[in-house]
This record gives sequence, C-alpha cells and structure tokens, in this order.
Amino acid sequence: MTRATLLRSLLLAAAWLALLAPAATAQPGPRLDISITPVTTTFPLSDPDTVPTVAAAPVQITYRIRQNDGPWTLTVLANGDLLAGPSTVDISKVTWVATPAPPFQNGVLSKTVAQRLASGTGNVNPARQGQVTFRLTNAWDYTAGLYTQTIVFTLTAP
Amino acid sequence: MSFAASTIPACSFLVAALAIAVPAEAQTATSTFSANLGGIAKLSLSSNTLSFPDADPDTVPLVPAAGGAITITAKARASLAATVTLTVLAADDLRSGVDTIPASALTWMASGAGFVNGTVSRATPQVVASWTGSGIRTGTQTYRFQNSWSYRTGTYSVSLLYTLVSP
Repeated sequence: MTRATLLRSLLLAAAWLALLAPAATAQPGPRLDISITPVTTTFPLSDPDTVPTVAAAPVQITYRIRQNDGPWTLTVLANGDLLAGPSTVDISKVTWVATPAPPFQNGVLSKTVAQRLASGTGNVNPARQGQVTFRLTNAWDYTAGLYTQTIVFTLTAP
Repeated sequence: MSFAASTIPACSFLVAALAIAVPAEAQTATSTFSANLGGIAKLSLSSNTLSFPDADPDTVPLVPAAGGAITITAKARASLAATVTLTVLAADDLRSGVDTIPASALTWMASGAGFVNGTVSRATPQVVASWTGSGIRTGTQTYRFQNSWSYRTGTYSVSLLYTLVSP
C-alpha cells in the first residue's frame, strides 16, 4: 500500500466518524437529575436505654429520569465508618427506612458496596420524591465524640 | 511498508464500536452525617435504703446490712481512654436527734471488676469503682456498721450520695 493509499484510508475513516458523530448527538443517553435535602443528617445525643435507635430527620430525595428506556438504580455508599478522631463507629450501625416502596427500599449502609436505595425502569418525569430516614443503633460502648462521615447517593442508568 | 486490504473496514468497526458504547449515565449527590455521641452516664442501685438491725456489740462488732449486698449498675459513655469514676459521699454523720455517730462507722466490701472496698466519709467522696472507657459495669457493695457500746440508743440515719463521672 502506498502512502497516498494510506492517507485515503485514514480520510475515509475520518469521514465515517464525522457521519456517526451527529447520529450520537441526536440520540443522547439518559438524562438524570438528583438532589437531596437537607445535605446534613444529624443524629442527636440520646440515652441508649430509652432510645436504642436514634432517628435523624428525614432526608428528601428528588429525582428525575428522562430519555431512558432501560432500568435505573439509585444507590447509597458511605465513604467510611463514622469518625471522631481516632474513634470509629461501624457504618453498618446506620440503617434506613425509605418510602414510597417501591421504588424505594430499606437497607443498611456499607462503606464497601453501594447499597440499592431505589430502582425502576424507564422514565420518571416529572421529578418524584422519596423520603429516607436514617437510624443509628445506639449503644453505651461507643466512645464519646462528635462523629461525621460523608455518604454518596448515585443515580445510574441504563 | 505494506498494509492489509482490510484496513478501512477495521477502522470503520472501531468507530462504530466507539459510537455504540455510550458510557452509563450517573448523577451523584452527597450528604454529611453528624452523630453526637457525647459523654453520658447513668447509675442505678438495686436498693435505695439500707438498714442495720440492733445487735450485741460483743457478738456482732460489724453489723451487716439487713438487705444484703447492693447491686450497682454503672453505664457510661466516655472519651477515648478516659477514666470513669463512681464515688460515694455521706451528707452528714449518722444522726438521731442531737446524737451522732461518725459516718466512718459505715464500711463496705465490694465485688466486681473495678470495684474497691472502702469507708464512708462525710468530707471527701470515696471511690467505689473506676474504669477506663465506655461501657456497662456491674458490681456489689456490702455495707457493714461498726457496732459499739459507746453509742447512745436511737434510730440513726444518713443519706449517701453516689456520683458517676464520665469525662
């Protein structure tokens, strides 16, 4: 093959790419939106005897899914255990109760595997809302401190 | 240099594959957890009253409390490596009208991890038990009264104040 032939081949490939690119733009992937309120979840100080499970104020999740003809999933993953300096409380001590069910479901937080919070198929448009109440198992054997951690909600499709 | 005749179709397949493999869509939102697990302490006694029956000082120089041992449950959430302390302090001497018997006539024998024997004082809180860190601890105190012929007759009483400190 000569250099000229090679050049023609590359130009042809580029032309294919140019033809396909507009097609991809005309059929974009799913459009997803998610927001949560409030962004800080606080577990108040409580007596483990009288309040064995400490509930935080409910978190409202607003989500919208467009241009989707397949399944969608909303997951939640903690970035680690609850931390207060060198002290830790295993993040699995945090559970949640979510409504409406379906598409939402109850679960236990994990720092290693994203846990399914909600799932469905197709579009959700206009936006809908779900409510999640996180609960911390209370205990006397926790080391005293103000613990914090970040959790990530991820809405995915297809 | 030579190229196979299939160069162009190979490039085409590559481009098509790139167009089809649209990456999965994902949107994220983050939330911050804040849990106030502050220091708290809780103390419970199996009995709130102690009574010592009348006895001959010669035959019963140390009168055990009629109800037997008091079981103490101390619950504390403490800072890392902090010392949790349980103390007892008499509000006064034992008193019957104007007659008194020193609070130090009351002593106790203890059982349970962290619990120690001691003598009641009305001036300085006496350590009943101490531990390191958070948790639930249980022990017993068996009080005894130092009997004596020198006491005036009467019914004597005193209040004991227990304090559990969780720093």
